[in-house]
Amino acid sequence: MTKVDLTIEICGMSGDGTIAAGGILNEAMSGAGLSVLAFDSYPAEIRGFGRCVTHSRIGDQEMRALSDKTHALISLDDKESQSRTPFLAKEAVVLFDSKPPSYGDEGTSIAAHVEPDARLFGMPFSDLAAAASGSTRGRNLTALGGFAAIFGVPPRHFQEVITKKFKAKGEKVLDANLRSFDAGYRYASEAFKERERPALTLPEPEKEEKVLISGNEAVARAALDAGLKLYFGYPITPATPIMEYLAKTLPERGGRVVQMEDEIASIGAVLGSFFAGKRAMTATSGPGFALMTELITHGVMSETPAVIINAQRGGPATGLPSKTEQSDLHAAVFGGPGDSARIVIAPTNVRECYEFTLMSFQLAERYQTPVIVLTDFFLNNRVERVNIPSASEAQRANWNVYPDESSRGQYERYRVTESGISPRAIPGTEGFLFDATGLEHTEKGRPDYSPENHSKMTEKRHRKIQGALKDLPEPVQFSSGETLDVGVIAWGSTFGSALEAVLTAQREGLKVGALKVMSLFPYHAEVIRAFMKKCKEILIPELNYEGQLANLIGHLHGKDVVRLNRTTGMPMAATLILDKVKGIVGGK
Amino acid sequence: MSEEHFIVIGNGPAGHHAAATLRLEAPGARITLISKEPHGCYRPHLLPMWISGSIKEEALYVCPVEEYKNMAVKLRSGQKVVALNPGRKELVLDHKEVLRFSGLIIAVGGKPRIPEPLLIFKDVLFTLKTLEDARVWREQIHQVDSVLMMGGDLTSLAVTKALLGLGKKVTFMVNEEAFWPLRWSLSLFEEMSHRLRQKGVEVLADQRVKGITRKGERDCEVQVGRQTVRCGMIGAFFGLTPDVRFLAGSGLRLDRGILVDEYLNTGFKGVYATGDCAQIYHPALRDYWVSVGHDNAVELGRTAALNLVGNTVKAEAAGKCIFEAQGIKINTSWWTEF
Repeated sequence: MTKVDLTIEICGMSGDGTIAAGGILNEAMSGAGLSVLAFDSYPAEIRGFGRCVTHSRIGDQEMRALSDKTHALISLDDKESQSRTPFLAKEAVVLFDSKPPSYGDEGTSIAAHVEPDARLFGMPFSDLAAAASGSTRGRNLTALGGFAAIFGVPPRHFQEVITKKFKAKGEKVLDANLRSFDAGYRYASEAFKERERPALTLPEPEKEEKVLISGNEAVARAALDAGLKLYFGYPITPATPIMEYLAKTLPERGGRVVQMEDEIASIGAVLGSFFAGKRAMTATSGPGFALMTELITHGVMSETPAVIINAQRGGPATGLPSKTEQSDLHAAVFGGPGDSARIVIAPTNVRECYEFTLMSFQLAERYQTPVIVLTDFFLNNRVERVNIPSASEAQRANWNVYPDESSRGQYERYRVTESGISPRAIPGTEGFLFDATGLEHTEKGRPDYSPENHSKMTEKRHRKIQGALKDLPEPVQFSSGETLDVGVIAWGSTFGSALEAVLTAQREGLKVGALKVMSLFPYHAEVIRAFMKKCKEILIPELNYEGQLANLIGHLHGKDVVRLNRTTGMPMAATLILDKVKGIVGGK
Repeated sequence: MSEEHFIVIGNGPAGHHAAATLRLEAPGARITLISKEPHGCYRPHLLPMWISGSIKEEALYVCPVEEYKNMAVKLRSGQKVVALNPGRKELVLDHKEVLRFSGLIIAVGGKPRIPEPLLIFKDVLFTLKTLEDARVWREQIHQVDSVLMMGGDLTSLAVTKALLGLGKKVTFMVNEEAFWPLRWSLSLFEEMSHRLRQKGVEVLADQRVKGITRKGERDCEVQVGRQTVRCGMIGAFFGLTPDVRFLAGSGLRLDRGILVDEYLNTGFKGVYATGDCAQIYHPALRDYWVSVGHDNAVELGRTAALNLVGNTVKAEAAGKCIFEAQGIKINTSWWTEF
């Protein structure tokens, strides 16, 4: 069977239906049994101008990262699509509107900007859509019809998705959209010779049930499955879809979503909820996270659980609202006043978005601390076809360490224990009165600023956090051989690209390996050090300028690590990491 | 227009060499080469050899497509010109993009000609003009044992040789239409029939097709006179007709091809036609002439380019334009009609 590994981009202007078309494409290809990893990039502004691009990598193998080469470009706006032509693979398919509304000067068509080897498939999108449905609005679906015909994807996969998407909007709307799609499919089937069309070989249907979901949806579903009772948030890209999803689903499960006046109020309410014994969560991005820092440290000091999703975007400040970056690691680990150790974990794919969010509630409860789940725009917005089993009872279980009966009446909320975990009573429990404060306090919770007490309690809180390591996901190693020329250590969404680069390098005979680090604080220093020890050189690729993971763990190597930092706002390409690895191996 | 922008339409041997010559002669000019075929320039006369498998595909190409970038020639392949206004010096592409030029060379070549009585059988006839046609031949030929060849143009002889090399049974229909565009000549007919028979080809002389019945995917029954010929494929080789329909209404003078003077100029300043699509005036003959074949195309392409940049070079046929196949020699120059 021919291996399928195809990257498809749809590019248009805001309002062209680009993102909608991308979503339908992804679901249809997933329905056809292919793996999908997809990501949208769009302007920060709401509507009306700016370039929208959907990137979909589909294949019959697991997709770990986007590709930096596009095999099929569907242009809904030739002016905007011109920027995508440098990324076209050799002999890429370019599907474009061959009958735009008016004649244009040289260079206005995408056809003027492609290399001679590109395979141009011009279709009158607008004319076909208008003839089929009475409006050109469905031209994005007409283009998808063309795509389906050109690549030999049975139209039913698209028709099912279109029906699902538009059924609720009434018969007329659904019919117009189906007609627009069918018009494109018919046209391409007839206009383009079968032998010129690069038909895909679709895999056999899988037995394992998989769903196509985004990182945001995975986070929200995990929170629901964890028994979330309260969500407090303030809208911000790219975290808003979490709140939107929960606003629809949480009330059905007896919970509440409250839009707060800002992020400070949001984290405050989350801490209050957990303090009262109810699971709560907030999701934000860099600017909102910055506002939360003081109260996060309040959670550290008062040993109150909280779950915070920080969906990183380009920064600092308002930064790049709709671009990806991994530049909040320092803020997540160190942000805020004082020695305020907290748990920071970072999923590397959509499935881990689900698993880590689920886990974060239990970690927050057991270790009585804010847990920060550090995602990024690429991870939040991308969709993947994954198998997400329902959370087990064990995964849902409350991990709070309650005080035993013997302490009733003489309860010390912050008792110093060997593990650093002080049994936590829920306020209102008879015989377990305590004070809670952001001031330094005694084991009973009374303010006490004495040097001895502060030293003791600071050490206790840090010991507790370090003790969490046993419950945190250990780094996972992907390597062959006892010694490696290069070890690549990556986190977050960049890990997928790193692994793809490493696997490619391994196939080419290079002695390289990868280490996936998911617990960023505390981190498994011994495991990381052991991996580093067997590597001549360590490469840490990150989507930030400062090399924030390298700053955090680089010292474990005993010598300088090699940094690969990019701040383009786009995910890191596997080829970039591969080139760097080869350069290191080759002594460059 | 401040910059010089030369456009060449057609990337066959004439168009390609016109563009290459322009590059040499006008180093500062912008050059755009528009080709409706989705690849770089290839040598059409080698297609039969590729079909037979005696050469590899790479050998067909004059240069890799990347080479156009090195030549600073913008190749727009897979794109089609649908209208021309030589007075305003602009042309329109199929996708409604308007290109303006300071100089233009039209080298669109021809398309396979099928005589009118056979047009109703068009769907079962295999022609050979383009690389795509050759791909179809390559795909199909291995699945059939026999081929019926109709016509008798230059390509038919080369294809016959290729088919014989593949061990296929070839039946060749020769009649007075066969040598089009050459005039019917008894001596040519006899020589051709003799040579073909010598090679093991069954020759059906002076017969016409009365009907074709498709019996299966690759099985045709052809009524030829009173005979019934069973074959897997039917090749139609009746020469080429200039592919100039898109120029109707452009103001250019058209006969079967584009009428040009001895310098290949169309009558519009800076607009030239060359290669198989041009009918070239000869003052001494007081008539128009055409020359076909690869070498003539290359020569005429260069001539058009030289004249576009200000030279005055008369169109000449290439020196040794004798086409030879199966031992039959045909002069490809100085025909007075297509």
